[in-house]
Amino acid sequence: MASESTIAAGNPIPVNVITGFLGSGKTTLLQRLLRSPGMSRTVVLINELGEIGLDHLLVERVDEALVLLQNGCICCSIRDDLKSALRGLLSREREQIPAFDRVVIETTGLADPGPVLYTLLGEPVVRHSFRLGNVVTTVDALNADLHLSRNPEGVKQVAAADRLVITKTDLADPARIAAVRDVLSRTNPSAEILDAAQIGVDADRVLVEQTRDLAPLTRFRPHVGEPAAADSAQGLQHNASVASLSLALDEPLDWTAFGIWLSLLLHRHGDNVLRVKGILRVQDAAAPVFINAVQHIVHPPQHLERWPTADHRSRIVFITRGIDHALLARSLAAFSSNRVDAPTPEEA
Amino acid sequence: MCALCGVFLTEVHWTDSSPSPSGSRVRTRRHERLHRVALANRILRHYGFKISDWQGNAYLLSGATGQTAVLPNVAAVWPAAEQLRKRALDPLDPHLIEALERD
Repeated sequence: MASESTIAAGNPIPVNVITGFLGSGKTTLLQRLLRSPGMSRTVVLINELGEIGLDHLLVERVDEALVLLQNGCICCSIRDDLKSALRGLLSREREQIPAFDRVVIETTGLADPGPVLYTLLGEPVVRHSFRLGNVVTTVDALNADLHLSRNPEGVKQVAAADRLVITKTDLADPARIAAVRDVLSRTNPSAEILDAAQIGVDADRVLVEQTRDLAPLTRFRPHVGEPAAADSAQGLQHNASVASLSLALDEPLDWTAFGIWLSLLLHRHGDNVLRVKGILRVQDAAAPVFINAVQHIVHPPQHLERWPTADHRSRIVFITRGIDHALLARSLAAFSSNRVDAPTPEEA
Repeated sequence: MCALCGVFLTEVHWTDSSPSPSGSRVRTRRHERLHRVALANRILRHYGFKISDWQGNAYLLSGATGQTAVLPNVAAVWPAAEQLRKRALDPLDPHLIEALERD
């Protein structure tokens, strides 16, 4: 509940982002999820009032307005419209709108998810009162290959996803759906893939984060280079320059070394490192650290309470565009395996 | 928060976060900073730079020709070094990787 006491107690309100290419069924999915009883106190922020009406109490329209920062990094631009809308919800909450306990942002089909995430994670007032829930990306089973092969934003939306929802599965044959699922799992092995037809109005399954988000990380098969496509996916177009690298590392990582390496990687190649997501086994810590980055935007690392499975290896997914994965893996190994003993404070 | 913007909009940079939950740190904060300096210098020396801890709350970047800059976190060091040297620091540079593998 977004009452004054809730916010004051440091319990930020979750914000889910629903994105997906034009006509991929974002609004239809949202319309169904809003029927869930648990969604009655949800505020919806949308860019476009489309043909599908949302019969919901709290719907607001926002205009996409980017404020580009001086460094010219597009993914780290503040979405001024979102900032104003979210701040406005806080100031008007007690007087003009009912109490709410969740916000869902439906982006335009052409939206780059980076600035949306940056606004949620980086804008000081927004960050204080809201937290990023998860990113849900809809993918149209009939046109998935077109979106992935021709539209850079579509690829970014898939890479940024924590949940991928395949829509229009009632119009596609099973072989086609299997092919789309295969392409999506190879593009973003860290996301859970759901079939819109099987979700119903189960909003929790789509929007509640964390526990299920770890499951794909525990299931992937480690690989360097593009994994082989399933037979069903042969011939399905996708952007060949975008590929995932899934690593499982036996040795515990030096967190400090990993952070230095990742910060340099994202500084130099963040435009083409579309996603980094993983659970890390770090030295001197019993429980894993969860990392999550979308291009240059790094979520605050989280200490998990326990390992999700008996496999206690670090498991990391990189989704990249035009980057040599063998070199990436070699670079990580070179920097993290050679440990440097720091001098003690007395020696320094 | 932003690996490119570095210092902007963030209170504690994510690279400064502890590997352990609060209260169970193995290294002291000071020792952790010195460890971070030693690790970053493995990369920086390949490009003719080094950093040192500056009063426990910043890093002093120094070049071979006397250039210096004070930076709040490690992520801010990379663009500063590039600006001073006019050369990209690239973790995928095969020459850097070979040098790290020889360490």
